[in-house]
Amino acid sequence: MSPEVGTILGLTTQKIASGFGADGAAFAAGTAGLLAMVLSLSAKEYDRAADIRCAENNDLRALFAALAPGVRDAALKAKLEDAAAAKDASLRISALNESNYALRRLLTALQIDAEDNGARDAERRIWAVLKAMADRRLVQLGP
Amino acid sequence: MSELSQKLQAYLRTKLAAPDLAVSGLARIPGGASRETYRFRAHYDGSERGLILRRDPPASLIETERAAEYRAYEAFHGLGLPVPAPVVLELDAAPLERPFFIMEEIENCQTGSIMSPDPYGPHRDSVGRQFYTVLGRIAAVDPRDVGLGDFEGETDIHNVAMHEVARWEKVVEEDEREPQPIARAAIRWLKRNPPPPAQKISVVHGDYRTGNFLFDDGGTIRAILDWEMSHLGDPLEDLGWAIDPLWAGGNAAFPGGMIARAEAIRIWEETSGLKADPEALQWWEIFASLKGAAIWISAACEYAEGRNIDPINAFSGWFCLSFHNKVLADRLAALS
Repeated sequence: MSPEVGTILGLTTQKIASGFGADGAAFAAGTAGLLAMVLSLSAKEYDRAADIRCAENNDLRALFAALAPGVRDAALKAKLEDAAAAKDASLRISALNESNYALRRLLTALQIDAEDNGARDAERRIWAVLKAMADRRLVQLGP
Repeated sequence: MSELSQKLQAYLRTKLAAPDLAVSGLARIPGGASRETYRFRAHYDGSERGLILRRDPPASLIETERAAEYRAYEAFHGLGLPVPAPVVLELDAAPLERPFFIMEEIENCQTGSIMSPDPYGPHRDSVGRQFYTVLGRIAAVDPRDVGLGDFEGETDIHNVAMHEVARWEKVVEEDEREPQPIARAAIRWLKRNPPPPAQKISVVHGDYRTGNFLFDDGGTIRAILDWEMSHLGDPLEDLGWAIDPLWAGGNAAFPGGMIARAEAIRIWEETSGLKADPEALQWWEIFASLKGAAIWISAACEYAEGRNIDPINAFSGWFCLSFHNKVLADRLAALS
Protein backbone atom coordinates (compact mmCIF):
# COMPACT_ATOMS: atom_id res chain seq x y z
CA MET A 1 0.00 0.00 0.00
CA SER A 2 1.76 3.08 -1.21
CA PRO A 3 2.22 5.33 0.67
CA GLU A 4 3.11 3.02 3.56
CA VAL A 5 1.97 3.78 7.11
CA GLY A 6 5.44 4.96 8.11
CA THR A 7 5.48 7.50 5.27
CA ILE A 8 2.03 8.78 6.20
CA LEU A 9 2.97 9.20 9.86
CA GLY A 10 6.16 11.03 8.93
CA LEU A 11 4.53 13.37 6.43
CA THR A 12 1.55 14.00 8.72
CA THR A 13 3.96 15.04 11.45
CA GLN A 14 5.67 17.33 8.96
CA LYS A 15 2.33 18.80 7.87
CA ILE A 16 1.26 19.51 11.44
CA ALA A 17 4.64 20.90 12.43
CA SER A 18 4.76 23.26 9.45
CA GLY A 19 1.30 24.62 10.29
CA PHE A 20 -1.62 24.78 7.91
CA GLY A 21 -3.62 27.63 9.39
CA ALA A 22 -2.19 30.37 7.20
CA ASP A 23 -4.70 29.77 4.42
CA GLY A 24 -7.73 30.51 6.59
CA ALA A 25 -10.02 28.71 9.01
CA ALA A 26 -12.08 26.80 6.42
CA PHE A 27 -9.01 25.38 4.73
CA ALA A 28 -7.40 24.52 8.08
CA ALA A 29 -10.57 22.73 9.22
CA GLY A 30 -10.71 20.77 5.96
CA THR A 31 -7.05 19.80 6.23
CA ALA A 32 -7.42 18.78 9.88
CA GLY A 33 -10.39 16.58 8.98
CA LEU A 34 -8.44 14.87 6.23
CA LEU A 35 -5.42 14.36 8.47
CA ALA A 36 -7.68 12.78 11.08
CA MET A 37 -9.16 10.43 8.49
CA VAL A 38 -5.77 9.44 7.13
CA LEU A 39 -4.47 8.76 10.66
CA SER A 40 -7.55 6.69 11.41
CA LEU A 41 -7.01 4.63 8.26
CA SER A 42 -3.33 4.26 9.19
CA ALA A 43 -4.31 2.74 12.54
CA LYS A 44 -6.38 0.10 10.71
CA GLU A 45 -3.63 -0.51 8.19
CA TYR A 46 -1.08 -1.00 10.98
CA ASP A 47 -3.18 -3.88 12.28
CA ARG A 48 -3.81 -5.63 8.97
CA ALA A 49 -0.70 -4.85 6.90
CA ALA A 50 1.34 -7.99 7.66
CA ASP A 51 -1.72 -10.24 7.46
CA ILE A 52 -2.64 -8.90 4.00
CA ARG A 53 0.84 -9.39 2.62
CA CYS A 54 1.29 -12.89 4.10
CA ALA A 55 -2.09 -14.04 2.79
CA GLU A 56 -1.45 -12.54 -0.63
CA ASN A 57 2.03 -14.08 -0.88
CA ASN A 58 0.63 -17.48 0.12
CA ASP A 59 -2.17 -17.23 -2.47
CA LEU A 60 0.25 -16.24 -5.20
CA ARG A 61 2.70 -19.07 -4.40
CA ALA A 62 -0.15 -21.59 -4.39
CA LEU A 63 -1.36 -20.25 -7.73
CA PHE A 64 2.11 -20.48 -9.24
CA ALA A 65 2.51 -24.05 -7.97
CA ALA A 66 -0.81 -24.98 -9.56
CA LEU A 67 -0.26 -23.28 -12.92
CA ALA A 68 3.49 -23.72 -13.51
CA PRO A 69 3.15 -27.25 -14.93
CA GLY A 70 0.99 -25.94 -17.78
CA VAL A 71 3.34 -23.09 -18.75
CA ARG A 72 5.31 -23.78 -21.95
CA ASP A 73 7.79 -20.90 -21.62
CA ALA A 74 10.66 -22.63 -19.82
CA ALA A 75 12.12 -19.49 -18.28
CA LEU A 76 8.77 -18.37 -16.90
CA LYS A 77 8.00 -21.87 -15.68
CA ALA A 78 11.28 -21.98 -13.74
CA LYS A 79 10.60 -18.60 -12.15
CA LEU A 80 7.14 -19.73 -11.11
CA GLU A 81 8.48 -22.93 -9.58
CA ASP A 82 11.18 -21.05 -7.68
CA ALA A 83 8.69 -18.50 -6.40
CA ALA A 84 6.22 -21.20 -5.38
CA ALA A 85 8.85 -22.96 -3.31
CA ALA A 86 10.03 -19.81 -1.49
CA LYS A 87 8.89 -18.70 1.96
CA ASP A 88 8.80 -15.37 3.76
CA ALA A 89 11.66 -15.34 6.23
CA SER A 90 10.65 -12.15 7.99
CA LEU A 91 7.37 -10.50 8.96
CA ARG A 92 8.74 -6.99 8.63
CA ILE A 93 6.52 -5.02 6.23
CA SER A 94 9.54 -4.00 4.16
CA ALA A 95 10.58 -7.65 3.73
CA LEU A 96 7.04 -8.79 2.96
CA ASN A 97 6.70 -5.97 0.42
CA GLU A 98 9.91 -6.99 -1.31
CA SER A 99 8.68 -10.55 -1.87
CA ASN A 100 5.13 -9.34 -2.61
CA TYR A 101 6.29 -6.95 -5.33
CA ALA A 102 8.32 -9.72 -6.97
CA LEU A 103 5.35 -12.09 -6.79
CA ARG A 104 2.98 -9.50 -8.23
CA ARG A 105 5.35 -8.83 -11.15
CA LEU A 106 5.49 -12.55 -11.79
CA LEU A 107 1.70 -12.75 -11.62
CA THR A 108 1.46 -10.20 -14.44
CA ALA A 109 3.97 -12.20 -16.52
CA LEU A 110 1.94 -15.36 -15.91
CA GLN A 111 -1.31 -13.61 -16.83
CA ILE A 112 0.14 -12.26 -20.08
CA ASP A 113 1.37 -15.75 -20.91
CA ALA A 114 -2.11 -17.18 -20.26
CA GLU A 115 -3.76 -14.44 -22.36
CA ASP A 116 -1.32 -14.94 -25.24
CA ASN A 117 -1.85 -18.71 -25.21
CA GLY A 118 -5.62 -18.69 -24.74
CA ALA A 119 -5.32 -20.56 -21.44
CA ARG A 120 -8.83 -19.67 -20.31
CA ASP A 121 -8.89 -21.81 -17.18
CA ALA A 122 -5.59 -20.31 -16.03
CA GLU A 123 -6.97 -16.83 -16.73
CA ARG A 124 -10.04 -17.53 -14.60
CA ARG A 125 -7.91 -18.82 -11.73
CA ILE A 126 -5.66 -15.75 -11.95
CA TRP A 127 -8.68 -13.46 -11.87
CA ALA A 128 -10.02 -15.28 -8.82
CA VAL A 129 -6.76 -14.49 -7.02
CA LEU A 130 -6.79 -10.87 -8.24
CA LYS A 131 -10.36 -10.51 -6.97
CA ALA A 132 -9.33 -11.89 -3.58
CA MET A 133 -6.41 -9.44 -3.49
CA ALA A 134 -8.70 -6.51 -4.28
CA ASP A 135 -11.22 -7.61 -1.65
CA ARG A 136 -8.56 -8.03 1.00
CA ARG A 137 -6.94 -4.66 0.31
CA LEU A 138 -10.20 -2.70 0.04
CA VAL A 139 -10.02 0.23 2.45
CA GLN A 140 -13.16 0.50 4.59
CA LEU A 141 -14.05 3.95 5.88
CA GLY A 142 -16.41 2.86 8.63
CA PRO A 143 -15.48 1.67 12.13
CA MET B 1 -3.43 41.57 4.37
CA SER B 2 -1.44 38.52 3.29
CA GLU B 3 1.39 38.71 0.80
CA LEU B 4 -0.67 36.76 -1.75
CA SER B 5 -3.58 39.14 -1.28
CA GLN B 6 -1.32 42.16 -1.82
CA LYS B 7 0.15 40.68 -4.97
CA LEU B 8 -3.29 39.79 -6.28
CA GLN B 9 -4.56 43.29 -5.63
CA ALA B 10 -1.60 44.87 -7.40
CA TYR B 11 -2.06 42.55 -10.36
CA LEU B 12 -5.78 43.21 -10.72
CA ARG B 13 -5.37 46.98 -10.41
CA THR B 14 -3.19 46.88 -13.50
CA LYS B 15 -4.98 44.12 -15.39
CA LEU B 16 -8.46 45.56 -14.95
CA ALA B 17 -7.29 49.19 -15.21
CA ALA B 18 -8.85 49.85 -11.82
CA PRO B 19 -6.27 51.74 -9.72
CA ASP B 20 -8.54 51.85 -6.66
CA LEU B 21 -9.42 48.14 -6.72
CA ALA B 22 -9.23 46.51 -3.29
CA VAL B 23 -9.03 42.81 -2.52
CA SER B 24 -10.50 41.46 0.70
CA GLY B 25 -11.38 38.15 2.32
CA LEU B 26 -8.88 36.01 0.42
CA ALA B 27 -9.30 32.47 1.81
CA ARG B 28 -8.27 29.10 0.47
CA ILE B 29 -11.03 26.59 -0.26
CA PRO B 30 -10.43 22.98 0.86
CA GLY B 31 -10.12 20.23 -1.73
CA GLY B 32 -8.65 20.07 -5.17
CA ALA B 33 -5.15 18.67 -5.37
CA SER B 34 -4.48 19.84 -8.92
CA ARG B 35 -5.08 23.57 -8.33
CA GLU B 36 -4.97 25.82 -5.28
CA THR B 37 -8.38 27.45 -5.08
CA TYR B 38 -9.14 30.69 -3.21
CA ARG B 39 -12.22 32.87 -2.91
CA PHE B 40 -11.96 36.64 -2.48
CA ARG B 41 -13.89 39.88 -2.90
CA ALA B 42 -12.83 42.58 -5.35
CA HIS B 43 -14.11 46.10 -4.71
CA TYR B 44 -13.90 48.47 -7.67
CA ASP B 45 -15.93 50.93 -9.72
CA GLY B 46 -18.30 51.30 -6.78
CA SER B 47 -19.27 47.64 -6.67
CA GLU B 48 -18.17 44.40 -5.02
CA ARG B 49 -17.62 41.13 -6.84
CA GLY B 50 -17.00 37.62 -5.55
CA LEU B 51 -14.20 35.92 -7.45
CA ILE B 52 -12.31 32.63 -7.45
CA LEU B 53 -8.55 32.34 -7.95
CA ARG B 54 -7.26 29.02 -9.32
CA ARG B 55 -3.48 28.84 -9.03
CA ASP B 56 -1.14 26.04 -10.06
CA PRO B 57 0.22 24.20 -7.03
CA PRO B 58 3.95 23.62 -6.51
CA ALA B 59 3.38 20.06 -7.86
CA SER B 60 0.25 19.03 -9.70
CA LEU B 61 -1.53 15.71 -9.26
CA ILE B 62 -2.11 15.39 -12.97
CA GLU B 63 -0.26 17.66 -15.35
CA THR B 64 -3.01 19.74 -16.85
CA GLU B 65 -3.01 22.77 -19.05
CA ARG B 66 -4.54 25.76 -17.32
CA ALA B 67 -4.98 27.62 -20.63
CA ALA B 68 -7.12 24.76 -21.93
CA GLU B 69 -9.20 24.79 -18.76
CA TYR B 70 -9.74 28.53 -19.11
CA ARG B 71 -10.78 28.15 -22.75
CA ALA B 72 -13.30 25.49 -21.77
CA TYR B 73 -14.84 27.85 -19.21
CA GLU B 74 -15.02 30.57 -21.86
CA ALA B 75 -16.60 28.29 -24.45
CA PHE B 76 -19.29 26.71 -22.32
CA HIS B 77 -20.11 29.82 -20.32
CA GLY B 78 -20.63 31.51 -23.67
CA LEU B 79 -23.16 28.84 -24.64
CA GLY B 80 -25.31 29.60 -21.63
CA LEU B 81 -24.50 26.38 -19.77
CA PRO B 82 -24.12 26.64 -15.98
CA VAL B 83 -20.42 27.46 -16.04
CA PRO B 84 -18.78 30.35 -14.13
CA ALA B 85 -17.71 33.35 -16.19
CA PRO B 86 -13.92 33.42 -16.64
CA VAL B 87 -12.33 36.77 -15.83
CA VAL B 88 -8.60 36.61 -16.47
CA LEU B 89 -5.92 34.06 -17.37
CA GLU B 90 -2.28 34.66 -16.44
CA LEU B 91 0.36 32.24 -17.69
CA ASP B 92 3.29 34.32 -16.43
CA ALA B 93 4.44 32.99 -13.07
CA ALA B 94 5.80 36.36 -11.97
CA PRO B 95 2.68 38.04 -10.52
CA LEU B 96 1.63 35.23 -8.13
CA GLU B 97 4.63 32.90 -8.29
CA ARG B 98 2.72 30.38 -10.44
CA PRO B 99 0.28 30.60 -13.39
CA PHE B 100 -3.35 31.15 -12.46
CA PHE B 101 -6.74 32.20 -13.64
CA ILE B 102 -9.67 34.01 -12.07
CA MET B 103 -13.37 33.38 -12.55
CA GLU B 104 -16.59 34.57 -10.99
CA GLU B 105 -17.71 33.02 -7.71
CA ILE B 106 -21.08 31.27 -7.78
CA GLU B 107 -22.36 32.12 -4.32
CA ASN B 108 -24.78 30.45 -1.89
CA CYS B 109 -24.29 27.01 -3.39
CA GLN B 110 -22.93 23.66 -2.29
CA THR B 111 -21.34 20.55 -3.76
CA GLY B 112 -22.40 16.96 -3.21
CA SER B 113 -19.95 14.73 -1.39
CA ILE B 114 -19.01 11.35 -2.80
CA MET B 115 -18.80 10.17 0.83
CA SER B 116 -22.47 10.88 1.46
CA PRO B 117 -24.99 8.12 0.73
CA ASP B 118 -27.55 10.79 -0.19
CA PRO B 119 -25.66 13.92 -1.29
CA TYR B 120 -28.65 15.75 -2.78
CA GLY B 121 -31.45 14.92 -0.32
CA PRO B 122 -34.89 16.00 -1.59
CA HIS B 123 -33.32 17.40 -4.78
CA ARG B 124 -31.86 14.05 -5.87
CA ASP B 125 -34.15 13.50 -8.86
CA SER B 126 -34.14 17.10 -10.02
CA VAL B 127 -30.37 17.46 -9.70
CA GLY B 128 -29.89 14.13 -11.47
CA ARG B 129 -32.02 15.12 -14.44
CA GLN B 130 -30.17 18.43 -14.79
CA PHE B 131 -26.81 16.72 -14.37
CA TYR B 132 -27.32 14.35 -17.30
CA THR B 133 -29.07 16.99 -19.39
CA VAL B 134 -26.09 19.33 -19.10
CA LEU B 135 -23.72 16.47 -19.91
CA GLY B 136 -25.80 15.64 -22.98
CA ARG B 137 -25.65 19.28 -24.05
CA ILE B 138 -21.87 19.30 -23.72
CA ALA B 139 -21.69 16.11 -25.81
CA ALA B 140 -23.91 17.62 -28.49
CA VAL B 141 -21.64 20.61 -29.10
CA ASP B 142 -19.33 20.57 -32.13
CA PRO B 143 -15.96 21.67 -30.69
CA ARG B 144 -15.27 23.79 -33.80
CA ASP B 145 -18.44 25.79 -33.17
CA VAL B 146 -17.13 26.98 -29.81
CA GLY B 147 -13.54 27.62 -30.87
CA LEU B 148 -12.18 24.40 -29.41
CA GLY B 149 -11.45 22.52 -32.63
CA ASP B 150 -7.74 22.65 -31.84
CA PHE B 151 -8.14 21.37 -28.28
CA GLU B 152 -5.84 18.65 -26.97
CA GLY B 153 -6.95 15.15 -27.82
CA GLU B 154 -7.52 12.70 -30.64
CA THR B 155 -9.86 13.72 -33.44
CA ASP B 156 -9.98 10.42 -35.37
CA ILE B 157 -13.10 8.56 -34.24
CA HIS B 158 -11.29 5.24 -34.82
CA ASN B 159 -8.29 6.09 -32.63
CA VAL B 160 -9.79 8.12 -29.81
CA ALA B 161 -10.24 5.21 -27.38
CA MET B 162 -6.68 3.91 -27.74
CA HIS B 163 -5.34 7.45 -27.51
CA GLU B 164 -6.90 7.75 -24.06
CA VAL B 165 -5.68 4.31 -22.97
CA ALA B 166 -2.14 5.28 -23.97
CA ARG B 167 -2.42 8.53 -22.05
CA TRP B 168 -3.33 6.81 -18.77
CA GLU B 169 -1.01 3.86 -19.31
CA LYS B 170 1.81 6.41 -19.41
CA VAL B 171 0.69 7.79 -16.04
CA VAL B 172 0.73 4.28 -14.54
CA GLU B 173 4.15 3.61 -16.09
CA GLU B 174 5.62 6.79 -14.68
CA ASP B 175 4.01 6.86 -11.25
CA GLU B 176 3.48 3.31 -9.97
CA ARG B 177 5.63 2.79 -6.89
CA GLU B 178 4.67 -0.86 -6.56
CA PRO B 179 3.42 -3.40 -9.14
CA GLN B 180 -0.22 -2.85 -10.10
CA PRO B 181 -1.37 -6.15 -11.63
CA ILE B 182 -5.05 -5.16 -11.79
CA ALA B 183 -4.45 -1.85 -13.54
CA ARG B 184 -2.02 -3.57 -15.93
CA ALA B 185 -4.54 -6.29 -16.70
CA ALA B 186 -7.23 -3.65 -17.28
CA ILE B 187 -4.99 -1.81 -19.75
CA ARG B 188 -4.38 -5.02 -21.69
CA TRP B 189 -8.11 -5.83 -21.70
CA LEU B 190 -8.96 -2.36 -22.99
CA LYS B 191 -6.40 -2.72 -25.78
CA ARG B 192 -7.55 -6.20 -26.78
CA ASN B 193 -11.24 -5.36 -26.76
CA PRO B 194 -11.54 -1.96 -28.48
CA PRO B 195 -14.94 -0.28 -28.46
CA PRO B 196 -16.85 0.70 -31.60
CA PRO B 197 -15.62 3.97 -33.18
CA ALA B 198 -16.84 7.16 -31.52
CA GLN B 199 -20.09 8.51 -32.94
CA LYS B 200 -18.50 11.95 -32.99
CA ILE B 201 -15.69 13.93 -31.45
CA SER B 202 -16.85 16.16 -28.59
CA VAL B 203 -15.34 18.23 -25.85
CA VAL B 204 -14.93 15.80 -22.96
CA HIS B 205 -15.08 17.52 -19.58
CA GLY B 206 -12.80 14.86 -18.16
CA ASP B 207 -13.99 14.95 -14.53
CA TYR B 208 -17.77 15.30 -14.76
CA ARG B 209 -19.13 13.85 -11.51
CA THR B 210 -20.67 14.34 -8.11
CA GLY B 211 -18.44 16.78 -6.23
CA ASN B 212 -17.57 18.83 -9.29
CA PHE B 213 -20.68 20.96 -9.64
CA LEU B 214 -22.54 23.47 -7.50
CA PHE B 215 -26.26 23.45 -6.79
CA ASP B 216 -28.36 25.92 -4.83
CA ASP B 217 -30.92 25.45 -2.05
CA GLY B 218 -33.67 25.06 -4.62
CA GLY B 219 -31.87 22.15 -6.27
CA THR B 220 -30.79 24.04 -9.38
CA ILE B 221 -27.35 23.26 -10.80
CA ARG B 222 -25.56 26.60 -11.00
CA ALA B 223 -22.01 25.70 -12.01
CA ILE B 224 -20.10 22.88 -13.63
CA LEU B 225 -16.55 23.13 -12.28
CA ASP B 226 -13.08 21.61 -12.66
CA TRP B 227 -12.58 21.55 -16.42
CA GLU B 228 -8.85 20.99 -15.95
CA MET B 229 -8.84 17.58 -17.67
CA SER B 230 -11.04 18.66 -20.58
CA HIS B 231 -10.01 17.48 -24.03
CA LEU B 232 -11.39 16.28 -27.34
CA GLY B 233 -12.63 12.72 -27.34
CA ASP B 234 -15.50 10.27 -27.36
CA PRO B 235 -18.49 11.74 -25.47
CA LEU B 236 -19.09 8.32 -23.92
CA GLU B 237 -15.92 8.90 -21.89
CA ASP B 238 -17.72 11.50 -19.78
CA LEU B 239 -20.83 9.34 -19.40
CA GLY B 240 -18.75 6.35 -18.29
CA TRP B 241 -16.92 8.53 -15.76
CA ALA B 242 -20.12 10.18 -14.47
CA ILE B 243 -21.74 6.81 -13.67
CA ASP B 244 -18.64 5.26 -12.08
CA PRO B 245 -19.62 3.66 -8.75
CA LEU B 246 -16.96 5.57 -6.80
CA TRP B 247 -19.07 8.72 -6.96
CA ALA B 248 -21.98 7.05 -5.16
CA GLY B 249 -20.31 5.05 -2.43
CA GLY B 250 -20.45 1.97 -4.62
CA ASN B 251 -24.14 2.21 -5.50
CA ALA B 252 -23.96 1.46 -9.23
CA ALA B 253 -27.75 1.48 -9.60
CA PHE B 254 -27.96 5.17 -8.66
CA PRO B 255 -24.70 6.61 -9.98
CA GLY B 256 -23.51 9.79 -8.34
CA GLY B 257 -26.22 9.43 -5.70
CA MET B 258 -28.77 10.76 -8.18
CA ILE B 259 -31.31 9.16 -10.53
CA ALA B 260 -31.38 5.53 -11.63
CA ARG B 261 -28.75 4.48 -14.15
CA ALA B 262 -31.27 3.66 -16.90
CA GLU B 263 -32.94 7.07 -16.62
CA ALA B 264 -29.55 8.80 -16.56
CA ILE B 265 -28.58 7.13 -19.83
CA ARG B 266 -31.97 7.86 -21.40
CA ILE B 267 -31.71 11.59 -20.58
CA TRP B 268 -28.14 11.74 -21.88
CA GLU B 269 -29.16 10.05 -25.15
CA GLU B 270 -32.16 12.33 -25.59
CA THR B 271 -30.16 15.51 -24.96
CA SER B 272 -27.02 14.59 -26.84
CA GLY B 273 -28.75 12.99 -29.82
CA LEU B 274 -26.28 10.11 -29.44
CA LYS B 275 -26.64 6.46 -28.49
CA ALA B 276 -25.07 4.85 -25.44
CA ASP B 277 -24.41 1.51 -27.11
CA PRO B 278 -24.17 -1.01 -24.22
CA GLU B 279 -20.98 -2.60 -25.56
CA ALA B 280 -19.30 0.77 -26.05
CA LEU B 281 -20.50 2.09 -22.69
CA GLN B 282 -19.20 -1.01 -20.91
CA TRP B 283 -15.77 -0.38 -22.44
CA TRP B 284 -15.85 3.27 -21.35
CA GLU B 285 -16.98 2.31 -17.83
CA ILE B 286 -14.00 -0.04 -17.48
CA PHE B 287 -11.82 2.70 -18.93
CA ALA B 288 -13.23 5.13 -16.32
CA SER B 289 -12.19 2.87 -13.47
CA LEU B 290 -8.74 2.43 -15.02
CA LYS B 291 -8.40 6.18 -15.46
CA GLY B 292 -9.40 6.60 -11.81
CA ALA B 293 -6.83 4.02 -10.74
CA ALA B 294 -4.15 5.87 -12.73
CA ILE B 295 -5.05 9.17 -11.06
CA TRP B 296 -4.90 7.62 -7.59
CA ILE B 297 -1.58 5.88 -8.38
CA SER B 298 -0.29 9.30 -9.36
CA ALA B 299 -1.67 10.86 -6.17
CA ALA B 300 0.06 8.24 -4.03
CA CYS B 301 3.32 8.85 -5.88
CA GLU B 302 3.15 12.64 -5.45
CA TYR B 303 2.52 12.19 -1.75
CA ALA B 304 4.99 9.41 -1.00
CA GLU B 305 7.79 11.21 -2.83
CA GLY B 306 7.06 14.42 -0.92
CA ARG B 307 6.13 16.62 -3.88
CA ASN B 308 2.61 17.27 -2.62
CA ILE B 309 1.89 16.20 0.96
CA ASP B 310 -1.72 17.31 0.95
CA PRO B 311 -3.42 14.46 2.87
CA ILE B 312 -6.04 14.14 0.11
CA ASN B 313 -3.32 12.47 -1.93
CA ALA B 314 -2.67 9.84 0.74
CA PHE B 315 -6.41 9.25 1.06
CA SER B 316 -6.80 8.90 -2.71
CA GLY B 317 -3.83 6.54 -2.92
CA TRP B 318 -5.41 4.28 -0.35
CA PHE B 319 -9.19 4.46 -0.44
CA CYS B 320 -9.89 5.47 -4.04
CA LEU B 321 -7.27 3.16 -5.55
CA SER B 322 -8.43 0.17 -3.51
CA PHE B 323 -12.01 0.95 -4.57
CA HIS B 324 -11.22 1.11 -8.27
CA ASN B 325 -9.01 -1.98 -8.09
CA LYS B 326 -12.00 -3.85 -6.69
CA VAL B 327 -14.36 -2.50 -9.36
CA LEU B 328 -11.92 -3.48 -12.10
CA ALA B 329 -11.23 -6.94 -10.64
CA ASP B 330 -14.95 -7.67 -10.25
CA ARG B 331 -15.80 -6.51 -13.77
CA LEU B 332 -12.90 -8.13 -15.57
CA ALA B 333 -13.14 -11.40 -13.62
CA ALA B 334 -16.76 -11.62 -14.73
CA LEU B 335 -15.65 -11.13 -18.34
CA SER B 336 -12.77 -13.60 -18.19
